[in-house]
Amino acid sequence: MNRKKRTPMTMTPLRRRGGALVAVLLSTTLVLSACGGGGEDSGNSAGATRTITADNGTIEIPADPQRVVALGNTSQPFIDIGGKPIGVTELSASELDPIPAEQKATFAAATNLGADTAEVDLEKLAGMKPDLILVQVPDSEFEGIEKELEAIAPTVFWGLDTEWKTFADALAEAGNLTDALSEQKTAFEEKVAKIKETHREVIADTSFVAVDRWDNADPGTFVITDFGCIEIAADDIGLNSPKAAEGDDPLGWTDLPFEQIAQLSKYDAILYPVDAEGQPKKAFAPVVESNTWKALPAVGSGRALGVFCPGNNSYGPVLKYLDSLDSALASLPAKG
Amino acid sequence: MTSLALRQDGPGTVTVPGPRRRLVGLVAALLVLLVVLVLSVMIGSTAISPSVVWDALFHPSPDIDQFAIRDYRVPRTIVGLVVGVALGLSGALIQALTRNPLADAGILGVHAGASFAVTVAVGVLGVSDIRGYMWFAFAGALIVTLMVLALGSTRQGQSPVVMVLAGVCIGAVLGGVREALQLTNPDAFDAMRSWNAGSVVGRPLDLVWPILPFLAVALVLAFAVSGPLNALALGDELAVAQGVRLVPTRVLSVIALTLLAGGATAIAGPIVFVGLMVPHVARWIAGPHQRWIFAHSILLAPSLLLASDILGRVVMRPREIPVGVVTAFVGAPVLIALVRRKTASGL
Repeated sequence: MNRKKRTPMTMTPLRRRGGALVAVLLSTTLVLSACGGGGEDSGNSAGATRTITADNGTIEIPADPQRVVALGNTSQPFIDIGGKPIGVTELSASELDPIPAEQKATFAAATNLGADTAEVDLEKLAGMKPDLILVQVPDSEFEGIEKELEAIAPTVFWGLDTEWKTFADALAEAGNLTDALSEQKTAFEEKVAKIKETHREVIADTSFVAVDRWDNADPGTFVITDFGCIEIAADDIGLNSPKAAEGDDPLGWTDLPFEQIAQLSKYDAILYPVDAEGQPKKAFAPVVESNTWKALPAVGSGRALGVFCPGNNSYGPVLKYLDSLDSALASLPAKG
Repeated sequence: MTSLALRQDGPGTVTVPGPRRRLVGLVAALLVLLVVLVLSVMIGSTAISPSVVWDALFHPSPDIDQFAIRDYRVPRTIVGLVVGVALGLSGALIQALTRNPLADAGILGVHAGASFAVTVAVGVLGVSDIRGYMWFAFAGALIVTLMVLALGSTRQGQSPVVMVLAGVCIGAVLGGVREALQLTNPDAFDAMRSWNAGSVVGRPLDLVWPILPFLAVALVLAFAVSGPLNALALGDELAVAQGVRLVPTRVLSVIALTLLAGGATAIAGPIVFVGLMVPHVARWIAGPHQRWIFAHSILLAPSLLLASDILGRVVMRPREIPVGVVTAFVGAPVLIALVRRKTASGL
């Protein structure tokens, strides 16, 4: 996971604004002219509409949108519930790698509109004549392009602090994909119930701590994290893991020097990030290779569990995380 | 620090400390350094008892706290020592060479060259590990300083003023390009945050050893030119009259300070205040003799750096403040006080 993705509720990227102003100024004229040429090609002029409420207010959108553009953090979750966007902004390799092949193909088939929302090619976007634009970026970034996007098509915006389940519901509602989402939600609830039942005693009797190391972390530092996938494990499964006090910054925002790896000794079990093959995540490898890590009681007794977290912003990746967590908990040796 | 303010000799009277005071000062500086070295191993963001520290050093066992001492605090202390020595001596050299009390190696483009090279390494070439981009930093510092040396060479020889101007100009250009690269590649900016702030955390010792031979050469060069630099303080004409060869003196000085500052910057990032401030303290204690100033700077600079690092470990526990930030906070008021108090800090 990249450092820029750290938020309390999600691991979604904080998109940057660099270069946006120039792009906006260059594109606005063309965008407005594209939209001012009449409504016959709007892609949705004849269709029924409905209203949806999001962070940018109540928006009238097509009842069954067909030409959806997904910007910022909306692309992967939208594809995950069966959406087929016609345009997207880029995903980083670490975001793209874990998603299934068919979803990658859907993403690749969409038109690339730019590295991120701040640098989205508005001229190209307008030329695609979308009937719906979905956006999840930092509030300040959206404010910079809100008018331009809304001039092109109905635009639905969510801020980064939107809770992931709420976000999935809202995306499905906007994209008219609630049936697909319903299946995922059922699978999620069943999986959560199974884990809680199967590992009832472990969950009740074990103090966990989730650790990580961001892609661009300072050398010699790691974090104890309380957001991302561990948040799901804590809130939905009931894992007992440290959390920041109300009103404080999330624990995962504080880089801790390796010297403090020793502090993990007080926990019964440690959850650390691994890739799909079960190997420690590349950025986390220096922690695992350190002598202090190897000397931890939990590590020596096999109670350091590698867990694969492909994402935490939609049900598909979360279900994979739960599978990994289920296997990890099953492998947890009894306390010595 | 990139200042153009060249010193103008004033009419004030300077009291030159005697040999006894210099020696006492040197011994005191050595004792302070030893104390700081011990404290640097004893104090960290985690409380570890002195007995464990002792055992970690003299009765090693696979105890987790002992690993914390041996694997993190000891290397960090050694890194701080090496970087401090290099920064202190490079600062004394550049101030003597340019006869500018507000100079540090940054005005010859060392930091700009190193930062630019690291940005290219991280942002363009995808080098993400400090083991990789450290060498880019070192090479960038060396190349840019050699460019400055070349630009500062006139028919009359090397001019410190022209060198400083060339350093500032190249630094400005490289700084602009670096900013542009970082703006278009936020990941590179993120990756460089720690290095840019100046830090000695997470620098393994095997990263430092390859730099040491360069620093050793620079140390020898610095003391070799200390005598001629004393004469240069009187002005070029008087120095020449005393038999000083200006060109070799300046070239060797630039090579030495570039190796020192380039090496330190490669390891820890651009820490600007140590090289600026410490030579002032050294001059206050030792007087105008460069050899003594160098010796004092070599002992005082790592003390300042390590004391700042210790402070950075404890003031915001459990998180740490990079040493580059702390040295600025600690150093600025001390420097202001010294400059206001003592005329001896002039050159």
